[in-house]
Amino acid sequence: MAETREKSHKPKPRVRPIVRLGIFLVSHSFLVSVVCCTSGVLALFLLPVLAKNTYISENALMPGSASPMLSNQHVLDGNRLVKDLTNSNLKSSETGIESHKIIAQYMLDLGAEVSFHKFHPQMNQFHPLHFFSSPDSGKIQENYSCSSYGINTVGVIRAPRGDGKEAIVLVTPYNALKSGFGEALSLGIAYSVFSLLTQVTWLAKDIIWLVADSQFGEYAAVSAWLREYQTPKFSSLSTLNSEMCPDINNLFEIKVHSVAGSKFSNSFRRAGTMAAALVLKVRDQGEQFEDTISIYAEASNGQMPNLDLINVVNYLAVHRQGLRVNVEKLRSLLNSSWLKSLGEIFESLAKVAKTLNPKCKFGIPATEYVEGTATLASSLYYQALGVPTGPHGAFRDYQVDAITLEISPKFSLDKVWRNDILLRGGRLIEGVIRSVNNLLEKFHQSFFLYLLTSPSKFVSVGVYMIAFALLIAPLPMVAASLYVDANSSSNFLKGDSSTPSAVTDAAEHGITIRSWKWLNSAKLVFIVHLWGAIVSLLPYFICQIPDCSPTTSFVIWVLLSILSLLILNSVLASPLACVKASQEKEWALVKSVTISSVFIGLGLMSVINFATAEIGALVMVPMCLLAQPLKLDVRAGTLRSCCRIICNLVLGHIAFPPAAFFLLKGMLDGFGSANVGDFWMWVESLWAWNSATYLFIGMVQLPCWVLCVSILFHSC
Amino acid sequence: MDTFNNSKPVLHLLLLPCLLLYSSIAFSSSSVEAAMHTNNWAVLVCTSRFWFNYRHMANTLSLYRTVKRLGIPDERIILMLADDMACNTRNKYPAQVFNNENHRLNLYGDNVEVDYRGYEVTVENFLRVLTGRHETAVPRSKRLLSDEGSHILLYMTGHGGDEFLKFQDSEELQSHDLADAVKQMKEKHRFKELLIMVDTCQAATLFNQLQSPGVLAIGSSMKGENSYSHHLDSDVGVSVVDRFTYYTLAFFERLNIYDNASLSSLFSSYNPSWLMSTAYYRKGVYKRSLEEVPVTTFFGSVMETIHTDAAYKALSRRNSGRFEAQTSLDQSVYHPERRTQMKVNDRDETHNINPEGNKQLLQGQEGASKCPWNTFCNKFLKAENVDSLVNYGLVAMVPFLVISTWLVR
Repeated sequence: MAETREKSHKPKPRVRPIVRLGIFLVSHSFLVSVVCCTSGVLALFLLPVLAKNTYISENALMPGSASPMLSNQHVLDGNRLVKDLTNSNLKSSETGIESHKIIAQYMLDLGAEVSFHKFHPQMNQFHPLHFFSSPDSGKIQENYSCSSYGINTVGVIRAPRGDGKEAIVLVTPYNALKSGFGEALSLGIAYSVFSLLTQVTWLAKDIIWLVADSQFGEYAAVSAWLREYQTPKFSSLSTLNSEMCPDINNLFEIKVHSVAGSKFSNSFRRAGTMAAALVLKVRDQGEQFEDTISIYAEASNGQMPNLDLINVVNYLAVHRQGLRVNVEKLRSLLNSSWLKSLGEIFESLAKVAKTLNPKCKFGIPATEYVEGTATLASSLYYQALGVPTGPHGAFRDYQVDAITLEISPKFSLDKVWRNDILLRGGRLIEGVIRSVNNLLEKFHQSFFLYLLTSPSKFVSVGVYMIAFALLIAPLPMVAASLYVDANSSSNFLKGDSSTPSAVTDAAEHGITIRSWKWLNSAKLVFIVHLWGAIVSLLPYFICQIPDCSPTTSFVIWVLLSILSLLILNSVLASPLACVKASQEKEWALVKSVTISSVFIGLGLMSVINFATAEIGALVMVPMCLLAQPLKLDVRAGTLRSCCRIICNLVLGHIAFPPAAFFLLKGMLDGFGSANVGDFWMWVESLWAWNSATYLFIGMVQLPCWVLCVSILFHSC
Repeated sequence: MDTFNNSKPVLHLLLLPCLLLYSSIAFSSSSVEAAMHTNNWAVLVCTSRFWFNYRHMANTLSLYRTVKRLGIPDERIILMLADDMACNTRNKYPAQVFNNENHRLNLYGDNVEVDYRGYEVTVENFLRVLTGRHETAVPRSKRLLSDEGSHILLYMTGHGGDEFLKFQDSEELQSHDLADAVKQMKEKHRFKELLIMVDTCQAATLFNQLQSPGVLAIGSSMKGENSYSHHLDSDVGVSVVDRFTYYTLAFFERLNIYDNASLSSLFSSYNPSWLMSTAYYRKGVYKRSLEEVPVTTFFGSVMETIHTDAAYKALSRRNSGRFEAQTSLDQSVYHPERRTQMKVNDRDETHNINPEGNKQLLQGQEGASKCPWNTFCNKFLKAENVDSLVNYGLVAMVPFLVISTWLVR
């Protein structure tokens, strides 16, 4: 105290402006946090208004500059294949071998190189260390059986004058056992394009047509083929296979005999590095009024293909083939009235701005706003989920740009209609392939980080980061101010009570103790995060339990989690917790450290998967900022504290991951179908797809929730 | 004033010997000024790579074809193509290049000689060609072997910007580099007249630093403007020609080697609404009036015909054997350039104040002059026939007598 008085006589040292600004912000942290959070949420809702029109960034692409060459002859060829496939289905439906033979025969007739790729489906195992590792070939399957295997049929066209270093992949998922008419039609479209491409002279990249056997799921087939393609196995596994499963070999032998001297080969055929991949599907029943094409682009962990690929498809579909392009939307948002009124507000604001300054034009109509928001929300949701929305996700793991195109035709059984779809779909694929064929390098010119608000509008990373940055900006300030408050208030109390004689000694001692006091809180936070890590690892063991229904698994998981929390708390936290309990304002320090850890967690997650971090921030930031012991609020009894109690309770429920899941599911599908086991299934799908969202929930959100709840029930 | 005016002819008469003296010295010291048009060269450069720049190669090849048609032989054309579109795997018509979607004219026939191709087309090589600073191993066919009487056409196309032209997607030619190279060429007497024609975006900015005399420059667009392609060949799948070049070619398609269309008619043929940019030409220190300069001065190889009475005397300068092409003899209004020695002498008598005229006069005196007065003088001085002289004298006395008697009366 004496020292400080002495110091006060001296002229104050000049504080640098940035430090002064920091001090100012920290001292007004409440105001800052309110302003930042509201503007962050507002900025999120403004994104559809700020979306820009897409444009072809790479000028080598030149989509639509060449007129399509796909003629009616090729369409007739495709139609022939569709007929043969549907007939063969009727004849021998017990094995899919027959239809694979037909496809291979058709490919061979065109002069393409053909090979079969046999694969075994992989079980969805929980591998705790596989979240960020690249897929490897080392996964030797011990438990494969001869009975369950899939056959991919692969046809390769070599570019007549190309260097064979690059390839474009066309994928058509096909389930030979129970194929719908749509799948056969997609094969027909792919075949008509393939037959054209065998004749053209302008190919610079090889063309690979993969007929993926989708009886174990489309993704599994494509990823198995890709794994084989990218990471060749140099083991005796294949010979082992052929020894053990003679019936599979049979198929190959038949082929070799039937078409002697052709380009059929038993070995795995490869072309160059993949420039792009297109997955083509045709929906079985279309209910739209016009032919629509849906684009699915999200791959694992919210990775997106280059925007140029979507642009090319969108441009060709809309401006050349007259198809309507569709991107996934959250349909429930389309009819929400509050969104519509928000859109009207923005529209009228834009009108006002236009009257003030005729140059500014950022407004969009309210209906467009609602659609944009619904698309944006679904874009955010699917990116945040981190689960690929189609087989194209397998390509993204190897840094190949890929999208899934799903054509849903306006349905009629007319033959003219079928030819029309074959022609238009085929020309679209041809156009995209020709455009990609013009590429000189990988897709790199356009954005990889973006959110779509419509097929032709996007929000780039530079814009959507603002909303997130505004949301998390108050966190460090509030943490700092809480820390300062906790220190100074106890300081003040002590200064009051102590006698002047013992001032210097006690003060010095007090300062050293107080300045390290936050370590206790940090320890608590660390323990809870450790617990979070344990909880995220528990499913690995639960998986090992045989014959376990999702519901029981979930219950086991919850029980084990609670048990581990209790054990950890008793072993590690108890001795010091007793000491701390006596101190006032201890909860403020806990809150401060929690907020810091949340800030770090959100910041890290925004690098890995932005959408997850954004959605997480929307829930966690208000919860962290508002958390305050309920006892204090109850004691105060003012209107303000009542509001805070209500907010805290609501947020405390919403932020609990399973609760949030059921709430979302209820909102999307209705509450009737909700089941406790669903959450387990959902989580299972997350780790099966190596989604970082799982880690985020387990190691950031859950600990944060536990800490906030502990603050709420803190006894002070 | 009056006295001055009166004395002007006298003054001129006095000055004349001095000028004669001066010009004779000048003539011997620097022959550049006096250089006759000896030959035509063309340097045609396509600077950009990649399939989507097909049109730049097509531009250059079309111009190559045009100048060849108008008489510049292959050995005087330096053709630089940065990429080979004809053999690009994406080309639907292998080994062919078209500049029109009707595909009637294959520009990449058997008679195309590409001097610099692919990665040889660099800023360094380009500047070496212009300035003639080659390594010793470079063959003659890759050199610009022009002299002080050469007319050079320099055509460049590619992607450009404010004061630069992109080469090969990796380096740039800046307006300073170009101006410096031209300056060096001038110093090294590598050209008499130079026409730089550039078809890029903001092409006019490339000429900002040019200062050398005898250099004409035309660009497809002004600063801040883009140059656009003319049309897309939906069969090949790329744009095949740029607008500026397209309309240049359209202009030349109507011409043959004997036409006298002037440069100004070419320059005024560029319609900004067709080009979607403003063609800009920069005359700089180019002396001649553009109306008088036929386009074949640069785009063809049309020499002046020099009519001489005696072989190897009048104006017999080196390379006179190379005067192959014939100019049409009609002296059209658009083309009042002196083509014959008679014309030159006319000028000598009328405007003998200008040093150039004096020079010509000097040449006339040096060689076998055909001026009647001079012949008379020569005859007079020789004095072959004294009798006839006396007779002439007597006859001349008759008018004297008549006049004197008339005055006396």
